[in-house]
Amino acid sequence: MPFKFRSMLISTSMFFTLATAAPFASAADAVQMGAVLSLTGANATVGEDVRRAVKLAEDKVNADGGVLGKPFQVLVEDSGGNPTTAINAARKLVSVDKVPVVIGEYSSGISIPMGQYLVKEGVVHINIASTSVKIRDLGSSSFNLIGLEDKGNKFSSQDAWDLGFRNVAVLAPNNAYGQGVAHGFRAEFEKLGGRIVNETLYTAGQSTYRRELQQIARSKPDAYIYTAYGQESAVINREALELGLREQPWYAILLSMSLSDTPANIAQGQLGMEVGSFVGPTGKAYADAFAAKYKEGMKTSYTGYAYDAVLMAAKAIEKAGNTEPAAVQAALKELGKGYDGVTGTVAFDDGRQRLDPPYAKLKYDGGKVVPR
Amino acid sequence: MLQFLIDTLLRATDLALIAFGLSLVYGLVKFPNIAHVQYAMLGAYLTFGLGAAGVPLPLALLLAALLVGALTLVLQRLVFQRLLKSGPAIAMIGSLAIAMLLVALLQGSAGTFPRMFELPLKAPILLGDARITHTQLYFFATTLVLLAAFTVALFHTRLGRAMRALAGNPALANASGLHAARITLMVTFASGSIAGLGGGLLALSTGAHINLGHDLLLPVFAAAILGGLGNPMGAVAGALLIAFTETLVTNLNFGWLVGREMAFLPVSYISGAAFLILLLALLFKPYGLFDREVRRV
Repeated sequence: MPFKFRSMLISTSMFFTLATAAPFASAADAVQMGAVLSLTGANATVGEDVRRAVKLAEDKVNADGGVLGKPFQVLVEDSGGNPTTAINAARKLVSVDKVPVVIGEYSSGISIPMGQYLVKEGVVHINIASTSVKIRDLGSSSFNLIGLEDKGNKFSSQDAWDLGFRNVAVLAPNNAYGQGVAHGFRAEFEKLGGRIVNETLYTAGQSTYRRELQQIARSKPDAYIYTAYGQESAVINREALELGLREQPWYAILLSMSLSDTPANIAQGQLGMEVGSFVGPTGKAYADAFAAKYKEGMKTSYTGYAYDAVLMAAKAIEKAGNTEPAAVQAALKELGKGYDGVTGTVAFDDGRQRLDPPYAKLKYDGGKVVPR
Repeated sequence: MLQFLIDTLLRATDLALIAFGLSLVYGLVKFPNIAHVQYAMLGAYLTFGLGAAGVPLPLALLLAALLVGALTLVLQRLVFQRLLKSGPAIAMIGSLAIAMLLVALLQGSAGTFPRMFELPLKAPILLGDARITHTQLYFFATTLVLLAAFTVALFHTRLGRAMRALAGNPALANASGLHAARITLMVTFASGSIAGLGGGLLALSTGAHINLGHDLLLPVFAAAILGGLGNPMGAVAGALLIAFTETLVTNLNFGWLVGREMAFLPVSYISGAAFLILLLALLFKPYGLFDREVRRV
């Protein structure tokens, strides 16, 4: 009896080892990279949009003959919308799948710890959506494709000045993001000669902002510069309309995010800016391909950066000739001297941060966000 | 000036019905029911649910109020009556537990996203420099009518007289032939319905959201305590005073104090201001502002 059981145990364990080894055997025949995205959680809409871009990029690379003569695979993992899950996903990609490059995430609060982990492991990290200025300090194997807050604030303050606003009120959420935007905008706008007549950091999650809006209105601004998360923004915009504050222009930093939950009739006529979604003929071709594959356009402005990240990573691996992270990192640096991406020309500075990232001047008209 | 008055009245309206219900039932059950504000939240969600199912708004408000009243009755019979045997402190802790349960149940079923009512977007009514929206006017008018109706019921009907007698002296009222248990249940149902209605009306402006009850807890209790617990009309006056304080504090320009043209107290501090008023009032009149009772030495 015991002998028979032991032999059964040996045969079943051999079977399972072979069964599980089989897919690994085929995986070793493909060149892989990783992507950690918000497939679930508060930012699932963005995560899904970016995942589509990543898949589109993977298909393009394979259509062009793959990488190093082998099929190319992007392993997409869910960050769950929180840093712990994101780091676990990154850990799996690094230790089990042994990818040389990981791209992600969306929220700065997740990209920063995840980026720090990847740099510690020597793996290449590409930031595709987070804008905190702390991204700059992640480390030598971290690259950034998107404009950080400081460039964003420069763009929005110049845009506000060009629109003729001189004395403005600033409204932002009372968290790291809002504080960064409010203080950064103030610094840049005052450099141009403008005046901030009121700066209000609102507490997130309230059901009414009437009092805050009434206080701001007392300072009689030319325009209201604001940024707010979709849910609260809907309340703020509605109450601003009810209080008659929409007689002055309202300018939103990150327009799509701020208006994501505001009804069209209330959002009508707002101005704003955002990170550029796609630029030039290369970008246009990408947008058309996206619409063709998914039967609808992109919902957020972040997809192009993910697309460029995947294509650049594939090209870097090809250039390096192997999947060693250090070699890929060097190749990516070389590529970053001038690459024609869908978000415009990608060029890195000495700190591996994007030079001249694209921004878009926008407005809300007829139920959607359109260029100005 | 007119906008100041409107803001005060609107904020008082937010609190009035719920504080009225709280004070009304406190006189009979003699324990602070923390779950009371969650009845308002429940009323808000039920009104939204009924409205989304196609029920016309006034009917949805009424039905939601009645449903909340029924739930209040059930909770009173099953939970609070038993807990009260161990004393008011135990009953209050029990009400805290019920409050947390209600929030968790609603969060699990309805989610954390606030539910906004789909009301027609109309331009606000202009009264000189001041503005008031149609929804706010509707809320204010309805509250005024309801309060008037309840006051009449409380002071000019036999039932109202019986409730007041029971609140004042339960033993004597019982001995006089008033059916204490039945009246208590009726008052409980009424207070729950009023809270549910208040919540439903409030949700017309702010939407039905999980924190609706929680946000109201401190101001409503402050209003009820200011007016004297057990004095429903006092609670409405208390609501007015709290609203006045909050509006005053956020509208005052403290620029002269800090050397700038305009400086306001951040809105997050307003509950602090309301509680300062409560503290000061209680220091001088511990039984509420309208206390007229003679206390035995």
